[in-house]
Amino acid sequence: MVDLLPVWIAVFCTLGIYSILYRENNWFRLAESAYLGCAVGYGVSQDLLYIRNQLIAQWSNGGLAILLFVITLIVGVLWYGRFNKDYFYLYRWPLAIVVGTGIGMALKTVVFTQFLDQIIAQANTPFFVAGDIGGTINNLLIHLMVPSILLYFWFTGTIRDSGPMKVVGKVARYTMMAGFGSAYGYTILTRYSLFIGRSQFLLGLPPNAAEARLAFMVIAAVMLLSMIGYDMIAKKEQPE
Amino acid sequence: MSIIKKIRDLDTRIIYALAWIFVLFPLISPLGLPIPISADAIAWNNYVTDEVQDGDTVIFSLMYGTSGMPELFPMSVATMKHILEKDVKIVVVHFWTEGPLVFNALLGQVDPADYGKVYGEDWIRLGYIPGSETAMGSLATSFQKTVPNDYVERKPLDSFAIMDDIKSAEDIDLIISFETGTPGTPEWLRQWNTPYGVPQITGCIGVSVPGMIPYMNSGQLKALMPGLTVSAEYEVLLNKPGLAVAGVDAVSTSHLLVVLLVIIGNVAYFMTREEGQ
Repeated sequence: MVDLLPVWIAVFCTLGIYSILYRENNWFRLAESAYLGCAVGYGVSQDLLYIRNQLIAQWSNGGLAILLFVITLIVGVLWYGRFNKDYFYLYRWPLAIVVGTGIGMALKTVVFTQFLDQIIAQANTPFFVAGDIGGTINNLLIHLMVPSILLYFWFTGTIRDSGPMKVVGKVARYTMMAGFGSAYGYTILTRYSLFIGRSQFLLGLPPNAAEARLAFMVIAAVMLLSMIGYDMIAKKEQPE
Repeated sequence: MSIIKKIRDLDTRIIYALAWIFVLFPLISPLGLPIPISADAIAWNNYVTDEVQDGDTVIFSLMYGTSGMPELFPMSVATMKHILEKDVKIVVVHFWTEGPLVFNALLGQVDPADYGKVYGEDWIRLGYIPGSETAMGSLATSFQKTVPNDYVERKPLDSFAIMDDIKSAEDIDLIISFETGTPGTPEWLRQWNTPYGVPQITGCIGVSVPGMIPYMNSGQLKALMPGLTVSAEYEVLLNKPGLAVAGVDAVSTSHLLVVLLVIIGNVAYFMTREEGQ
């Protein structure tokens, strides 16, 4: 019985979240709140665990180290100034430190990783691939589309719609539409993959717990009947 | 024409009900549709088979939570099985809070001991490290200073034999990252690939694929596993069918539904538009 409890809770939460597909309802609100509470609580606990491990294993080794650790903790506590109007300004200090270190770390290599390497790759892409028509078409499209989009965003105002930029702009817009279409298609794939994964769990397909299937049928019936029943009663009570 | 109007204004709940049917039906009664092997699956399999050499040290990072499991978990399991067959050292680390939870689930599917791997000698868990990209950069500089204890036994890293030769990013031969977002591949590349030249292969959810392709074209990523379908192909290549193969029929039927709805929606839109004019 104790082993079954987590399975039933998981099935309840899964169906509770998916019940939004019918309409906004209390099952959904309950599952959503439980999920958010668990996720935040788990995240905070993991962060605290890391701080504790640092304190015990490393920072407590020396006097100066423990002083730095205490300063770090105090700066960390300033985050909570965000929840109080009077102390809101204190929250800016840890925010500035985190944003500053984050940007500093990223800027160190971002020009090489996400700018120069991409330009080099673009320049090194051959126009023709021997014996590969698909590859050749692909490369030609890359050489046509990438500069088109760059030019499209380089020029602004009326010049974008005049002279050769008319054609370039059209190619750029079609390229972007193809890109958005591709992103949309992959998004559908991801959402359905998520749904398929939860369906495998609900059906109790191995390696998921087989008990989930019974829980699925019972909880789905209860949720559906309660929502449909509520709607019917509400409709009856509505003045004509 | 009234039918077309009805289709155009169809209650979305009917579409959701259809989605349930199109997904549940092939899961209950598998159709056994063929699974053609794509170049992505072959590239991933070849890289792990040929480029990962005996004696290498590999970082295995699950950068996703439970919401990413349906798409990424099957490929994580298959890849773990693949690298466990090799004589490599594995360092498991996460920069996502739920990473350790997901890896616990993975251990329920794959036990390194079954492959003769000893904890602390052949593989180690560093757990979750908060701090996103800053933490990644810190780990690259020093494992021991960034992670005081391992995740399982809560002992100092230096007390494990595997860590004798692992001090910084320079001692790592490959990063295998499965991820749903940030931090992910761009952060790995910025902190590990560009400064230290550590090669990387990435498994990602479908949404992230268009953003990953430039890194593949530039050679910064050595292989890419995009989504559940390619994961199923990889399972077929390994001859270890798992959750991805079981779900690939549902992927096909659900996509068929989407295509049908797009066609019907467009036909209904254009027909009623003409009527309006």
